[in-house]
Amino acid sequence: MRVTFERRLRQPRWLSLAVPVGSVVFAFFVAGLVLLVTGHNPLTTYRQVFDAAFLQTGSLNQTLIAATPLAFTGLAAAAAFRMKLFNIGAEGQMYIGAITGAAAGLYLGGRGGSSVFVIAAMVVMGFLGGTAWALIPGILRAFFKTNEILTSLLLNYVAGLLLTYLIFESESYWRETKGFNATVFPTGKPLPSSAVWPAWTIHLQGGITIPFGAMLAVAVAVVVWVLYKRTRFGFEAQVLGDSDRAARYSGVRVRRKILAVMALSGGIAGLAGASQVGDFSHSLDGDPNGLQKLGYGYTGIVIAALARYNPFAAVLVAFLMGGLENAGNTLQGANFPAGLVGVIQGIILFSALGGEVLIRHRVRIARTGHAKATGLETVS
Amino acid sequence: MKIKIKLALALAVAAAVALVGALASSASHGASPYKVAFIYVGPHNDGGWSQAHEQGRQYVQKALGSKVQTTYKENIAVGTQFNQTVASLAAQGYKMIFATSYGYITPAITQKYPNILFEQATGTYLAKNVAEYFGAAEDTVFLSGMAAGAASKTGKIGFVVAYPIPEVIRHANAFALGAQVTHPGATVRLVWTNSWFDPAKEKKAAQSLVAAGVDVLGQNVDSPATGQFAESMHIPWVGYDSNSSKFAPKSWLTASVYNWGPYYVKRIQAAMNGTWKQGFYYGSIKDGFTKLAAYGPGVTAATKAKIASYQTKIENGSYNEFAGPLYDQSGKLRVKKGVRMQVLTGGTNSLYGMNWLVKGVIGSPKG
Repeated sequence: MRVTFERRLRQPRWLSLAVPVGSVVFAFFVAGLVLLVTGHNPLTTYRQVFDAAFLQTGSLNQTLIAATPLAFTGLAAAAAFRMKLFNIGAEGQMYIGAITGAAAGLYLGGRGGSSVFVIAAMVVMGFLGGTAWALIPGILRAFFKTNEILTSLLLNYVAGLLLTYLIFESESYWRETKGFNATVFPTGKPLPSSAVWPAWTIHLQGGITIPFGAMLAVAVAVVVWVLYKRTRFGFEAQVLGDSDRAARYSGVRVRRKILAVMALSGGIAGLAGASQVGDFSHSLDGDPNGLQKLGYGYTGIVIAALARYNPFAAVLVAFLMGGLENAGNTLQGANFPAGLVGVIQGIILFSALGGEVLIRHRVRIARTGHAKATGLETVS
Repeated sequence: MKIKIKLALALAVAAAVALVGALASSASHGASPYKVAFIYVGPHNDGGWSQAHEQGRQYVQKALGSKVQTTYKENIAVGTQFNQTVASLAAQGYKMIFATSYGYITPAITQKYPNILFEQATGTYLAKNVAEYFGAAEDTVFLSGMAAGAASKTGKIGFVVAYPIPEVIRHANAFALGAQVTHPGATVRLVWTNSWFDPAKEKKAAQSLVAAGVDVLGQNVDSPATGQFAESMHIPWVGYDSNSSKFAPKSWLTASVYNWGPYYVKRIQAAMNGTWKQGFYYGSIKDGFTKLAAYGPGVTAATKAKIASYQTKIENGSYNEFAGPLYDQSGKLRVKKGVRMQVLTGGTNSLYGMNWLVKGVIGSPKG
């Protein structure tokens, strides 16, 4: 008896859908065991999760609020991971995008620009902020072959400390200094009204509000898809991801690609930060108990893995993850452990990544008699 | 074979979806108990700030019984997560929310739910449906500082602090002033952790303080990590927020602890009666808001007596630790003799606006 892993020649399409779905089912199954062991009923809990995420009044709005940053970070991760460039720094790139986006909003909005102009500037500056932060690990990888996982991850902490510093430990441009409340506790300066991002309400089921950031995320998904599927840039990036050597020999400029993809990925993560400022907090949130506690950048990695790096799937998965996060907040209490949502997400990630192996490889169990006789194994 | 596998998988997925999608009416039950929610910034069993609030909530549940239905949400981040939590609580019929950390309450969220009563701890924003509450913990921190000063042989005391904001600066100053009463010339060295609750960082802070030569540790952070380290180094420890003596039974001296329960009961009853009004509550030792936790084995009878005498003087108003003359770290006179610092008025010379450290504190008020 011999068990071998063989690379598949063709990847069946049904498996590409079955593995992510299977990972989620598996994760819920394992989490259900955790629930059982701690004395809760998994089925009623999951029904409550679904209710709280999508069906209760107003829950869709909250789900969209949670899903917006996740869509960006999921896209950011997908854009980079597709080229086997493991940008774990979406969290830090998001913070820097928030800083630069807020700066644009405060400065231009304060000078009386029109709303369209100010918001466009915030989007651009948010993107550029994320790009700049991502280029640090990008340059280190392109020119010095430094592992981008380590550099991008550690820079997350640097970005977080910078964010806290700007609001908590300095009288920076971003910090509110007027009024007595400002001396009692550090808060960010509120954005002028022209810098507040709009939202659209659909009059269904009590009103569903779609933030501008959510729509921007869908637009970014389209751009990323077109870029990777219909341009030479995308083709070369995928070749580089699949085989470094093949790419080099066919003339792909590897260094430029690495920089470009890191810049793209970081920029999208920066948009997540700009959206947080423009859509939701309307000031720079430097509170370590605020934006920095939520881990959007890291959840984006789970989303990208589950979506198998497809941009549209990433947006859909982000929506579902947003529902899960929202449900976690709603249900949290004596009957629903606060950490359960995080546990589920972690198991999903493990299962999705493990499932990847099944997509790309097949398991063969061969009896050790035959192989020796023929010396050749046919691939069926 | 392939088709069978596909079918089986499709069935499994469909079954899973059907299971999850099976709906039950999610309407909440009869509204007779008054629903109150408590939102914590950290875990409900952090051994510190949030745990003290949780004890207050349990006090309420016990005192008011079936008339109220209380719940808590823990580890809620400031910002969108708080807003989402409020939205879901509102949908479930909660009428009153106690937000136990500054930064939670914003005008936007309180205006969105004008029929819900919000109370925020340690803040200053007031509105028709928003009240603020906190108290003179600095008085009991001062008394706990006295215990630290008495327990110190070298006069070098360490204090682990969170953020360089007036609340923490005020407590650090109170602690130092207390230590200087029982140990004239004592110095208090600060290390900032930039977090209310981070046991790993707090332990490192405590390690660096001991390495710098302190022989007593105190804190203004939420976990007992400093105390556990103090116990392992056999040096005395003053805690904060709640009685955490079980984590360091030999090192434990005392702590300034909060007693949120009675205030909560009072306010919830007022809300149920319809007599609730916005306000700024600043509790004290006298009304039971704050007190000293039980002493540990290392506090001498003489120290206990001295602390008790100061406590009496504070309670009857004849003594206030933040009365002039008060000098800052550079030796400049900040508060003149005979002047008492007020809670809200006085700019940087007010308790809520204090951004300078008193003489004898080593460390920067900027973090």
